[in-house]
Amino acid sequence: MINSSHTVQGLDTHGNANTMKDAQNTQQLQQWLIAVANDRDKRAFAQLFSWFAPKILRYGVSHLNSSANAQELLQDTMTNVWKKAHYFNADKGAVTTWVYTIMRNASFDMLRKMQTQREEMLSDDIWPLVEAQTAQEGEYTDHLMQKEIKRYLSLLPDAQQQVIKGVYFQHLSQEELAKQLGIPVGTVKSRLRLALSKLKQKMGGKL
Amino acid sequence: MITHHPSDELLTAFTQGELTASLSIAVAAHNELCPVCQEKVEKLNAQHAQMLFDTDNETIDDAGNDIQESELNWMSMIDDITDDDSQSVLVPIDTKSVQLSYDNVQLPRALSNVSLKKWSKLGDVSRARLELEEEPIRSSLLDISPGGVVPLHTHKGFELTLLLDGSFEDDMGSYHAGDFIWLDKSHSHSPRTTDGCLCYAVLDDAMEFKEGFSKLFNPIGSYLY
Ligand SMILES: [Zn+2]
Repeated sequence: MINSSHTVQGLDTHGNANTMKDAQNTQQLQQWLIAVANDRDKRAFAQLFSWFAPKILRYGVSHLNSSANAQELLQDTMTNVWKKAHYFNADKGAVTTWVYTIMRNASFDMLRKMQTQREEMLSDDIWPLVEAQTAQEGEYTDHLMQKEIKRYLSLLPDAQQQVIKGVYFQHLSQEELAKQLGIPVGTVKSRLRLALSKLKQKMGGKL
Repeated sequence: MITHHPSDELLTAFTQGELTASLSIAVAAHNELCPVCQEKVEKLNAQHAQMLFDTDNETIDDAGNDIQESELNWMSMIDDITDDDSQSVLVPIDTKSVQLSYDNVQLPRALSNVSLKKWSKLGDVSRARLELEEEPIRSSLLDISPGGVVPLHTHKGFELTLLLDGSFEDDMGSYHAGDFIWLDKSHSHSPRTTDGCLCYAVLDDAMEFKEGFSKLFNPIGSYLY
């Protein structure tokens, strides 16, 4: 529900946004995040972690009512920072805004899980970290074909769907995919071969 | 043209994650269609992030001193996280489309992972509830067929209607896709549509029908809730 005691802040007041300190912080945080994205730099990640951790914990305690939950929120948020750093786009906003989005989303999903029996993660659809369009441009070249393949794809066993999606829709190399799924490259190759031949069969040579 | 938007207060609560899932979805779905509110939310987001993360005015150097203290506690969490070197990949977004009385319509991204209950039909209105478990707040998709009318009613609590597709009119005006219409006790209305429309509705109590004749429709009041 809407908190009625909530006061509306003016949309255009930025407070002390442009103090020197803030500008320096902004730049430093950005350097660290980019180092994580481009070089998987663990040292830079540790710096980001140390800067954000006390703040995330403070937020977690006040929103999730226990320090155990706050710890979980911290782990969740920083795991996403580590895994999603390559989605960060400095033109779209500051690192703080980006991390806030991740933290607020994780907290929202945790709260819902605590309050209902439901398991869906809704937050990334409500506050997308990556815009739908970017995702589509990057992932799909031929939308129609893709739609059709997807329909046939759903007829395959899950393990085979996974390799097709990884290689053809997410453009991962077979090595990357093997690493991600935690299976040998050989298994990826054989699953892919099997999946493709089944798919061809089902699509009647349209692939 | 969208002429009805969420209030600034609602947008603020939205960015701070303070709204229920049903209302968050409503605002998000509106923003998918409304660049004006989308931009407001981006600003509010940045502001709130800055408030949370920058207010204690510590510089990076101050934070650097903190590291030594807490580094020991956090070291294992950091190692834990960075041990897994895989990066997240974009999973295609599966937006749903629904077959309505008048057309096939694609649902907003905000609804793509929400489960819908079965459609059921009463008069001109078909309803599918969302499985969000937020009683007493309920949210539904309402498919109003061409020429359809919802009898004049008022609300015991609030009624939020987000028009997702098509258009409808009521005693106060006409509405188009994207319009975000917030009504409470002080309003009564009787929406009608010429060509059919799809609404996303959030209510926190049953509707109350005003006219004597419409009392007949009282079942529809609890049905639409
Ligand atoms: Zn708007």
